Amino acid sequence: MKMVNFATDFLCYALKGGSKFYTWLLFLGFFIMIWAYGNYTQISQGMIVTGLNDQVSWGLYMSNFVFLVGVAAAAVTIVFPAYVYNYKPLKDVVIIGEMLAISAVIMCILFVLSHMGRPDRLWHIMPVIGILNWPNSMLTWDVIVLNVYLGLNVVCGFYYMYKKYTGEPVNKVFYMTLVYVSIVWALSIHTVTGFLLNTMPTRPMWFHSMVPIKFIVTAFSAGPAFIILAFFIIRKNTKLEIKDEAINMLSTIITFCLSISLFLTLCEIVTELYPSTEHSFSLKYLLFGKHGLSGLVGFFWASLAMNIIAFILLINPRTRKNHAILPYTCAILFVGIWIEKGMAFVLPGMTPSPIGEFAEYTPSWIEIGNSLGAWAIGLAIFTILAKGAIGIQLGDVKYSEVKGEQYEK
Amino acid sequence: MSEKHQRSYGLQAPPSLGVKGKKRYGMIMDLRKCTGGGACTMACKEEFGVPLGVTRMWMKEENRGTYPNTSKVVMPATCNQCDYPICVRNCPTGATYKHPDGFVLQRYNTCIGCRTCAIACPYNARHFLPQHRSNPDQPTQVVDKCSFCIHRVTRGQQPACVEACTARAIIFGDLNDPESEISKVLAKERVTVLRPEMGTSPQVYYIGLEQGGVADPISCYSDRSDQMKSEFDDYKRNHPGLQFGDILESETSPLKFSGQIVGHMKDFIVDIFVKLGIVKH
Repeated sequence: MKMVNFATDFLCYALKGGSKFYTWLLFLGFFIMIWAYGNYTQISQGMIVTGLNDQVSWGLYMSNFVFLVGVAAAAVTIVFPAYVYNYKPLKDVVIIGEMLAISAVIMCILFVLSHMGRPDRLWHIMPVIGILNWPNSMLTWDVIVLNVYLGLNVVCGFYYMYKKYTGEPVNKVFYMTLVYVSIVWALSIHTVTGFLLNTMPTRPMWFHSMVPIKFIVTAFSAGPAFIILAFFIIRKNTKLEIKDEAINMLSTIITFCLSISLFLTLCEIVTELYPSTEHSFSLKYLLFGKHGLSGLVGFFWASLAMNIIAFILLINPRTRKNHAILPYTCAILFVGIWIEKGMAFVLPGMTPSPIGEFAEYTPSWIEIGNSLGAWAIGLAIFTILAKGAIGIQLGDVKYSEVKGEQYEK
Repeated sequence: MSEKHQRSYGLQAPPSLGVKGKKRYGMIMDLRKCTGGGACTMACKEEFGVPLGVTRMWMKEENRGTYPNTSKVVMPATCNQCDYPICVRNCPTGATYKHPDGFVLQRYNTCIGCRTCAIACPYNARHFLPQHRSNPDQPTQVVDKCSFCIHRVTRGQQPACVEACTARAIIFGDLNDPESEISKVLAKERVTVLRPEMGTSPQVYYIGLEQGGVADPISCYSDRSDQMKSEFDDYKRNHPGLQFGDILESETSPLKFSGQIVGHMKDFIVDIFVKLGIVKH
């Protein structure tokens, strides 16, 4: 019975809000409509409505998937300092990080669904009920680690909230075990996604042992950047107190990870361009264009510029701790890393094709609409989950024996 | 694990090359004889009803020199039916698998269309089938590939491309049988394979393939994609339902444009109701 009360109270609180809240959801709802229509078109007409072809067969969907796995993994940047180092300012908001992880994994699933030619056969890649080619295929590992990560975050987050709701003490052994497992697991999801790409000798640009570590450091700069933005919005619009120390801690983590990421980018450019082998072809195409094809050149330099600007603003303590500048820095960084993961890593890996064909890929409007829609769904889920979590954290949503007490307040 | 179990879960059947009592089919493409006429690619399209815009077997071409001193180098290419196929290892559902006789095959009813195999293949030998096929019984929205014409080979015939080749440049047969033509040619001639550095042990051999020539991704810039793109456009023209992306690009008045969008949306909602059985057409 308590469970049912928890669910209804949580949802009632999460779905009630001011005009700003409803306008935001309505705005997202517009994109969700486009998503529904785009997916309907794609399912009824086939993948031909996308801009993909046999030379470039992973496109915008997979790029977003790879990026969002990183965002999901980045929840660990809150959980780790909060529980391992007992960092109090982050401990109060750790639940927001878990909610972000849940919505990011849901977005990943939506992108994979859009990417699949036969989404009606999704159950084939479900563990236990499906026909998984495990342990041979890297993709099955990815499916397993992502689903378990989703489960871990749902259990961790909602168990903590439920206990807070009922006022009972948290079972330390059970909860802390799950927290530690989820910290290690967060690293594993992005490592395995890195392995999915870098175990393909066919694609020289991806075939690089640096890929998993670069994925992790870029994830740990883009994810916290998003979390900081969310914190600023939460602080402005709700009563939840987010301390300056929490934000400063996250921006310090971003600074460290971003510096490693830029260093690795430099290493990659030197390693690939100094000797001019077959392996450097994709990078040359990305950096300077080839055979008159230069669709990705602008994206690469833009992302590099964004990352460097963000780095300069972050490495300087005065601009890093200035909370008037920090949101803009985070927004620049988030977009920069998004471009770097998609347009500057996943797409150029497929040009030239392994038999030397140069085919350029431009996403179709259906693909762009579907991607925007999947982001909108994820953001809507994050908004609702985070709002409910804030209500519980503030103590606005509490279990009471007397029925309907809350509604009278 | 029994062999049947292994196969049904998409694990690799052990390589059958040189194993007694087993067959291992292979192919030789003799580029000295190949005229580049493309009869093999046409026969392949005919045999399987391969849709526009994709190819099971294709001709890789390179034009050299400037007029009047020009020449053309050609190379027919297809799936290499590797002994250690990367695509089989990467398939998440085991939809692509290795036949004990050496064929690398595709199961259409378990493929989820994720195209991981297409990314993994070092020969770019895989293509994606569209939704609309001329024959509705044919598989749609899954990955397809050359099957070495297993349906013909098991009946004692030669693959379609081999039979169609006007120059008899393609030789097909059992590599384990020392009396077969292919074994005799292999014993006599200098052969090369494509991209041996991938460790896949391909079983399509080439005679007269020059180093750094048409097969080489570094020196050769060829474009199957241009031809495929024009075929794609043909396909799209034949299916007017696909034009949503084109609406945004075409020059229409905003009013007409939003009218089209509303029309599309209406079709969408009506279609859902029809599928649920609430409304009848």
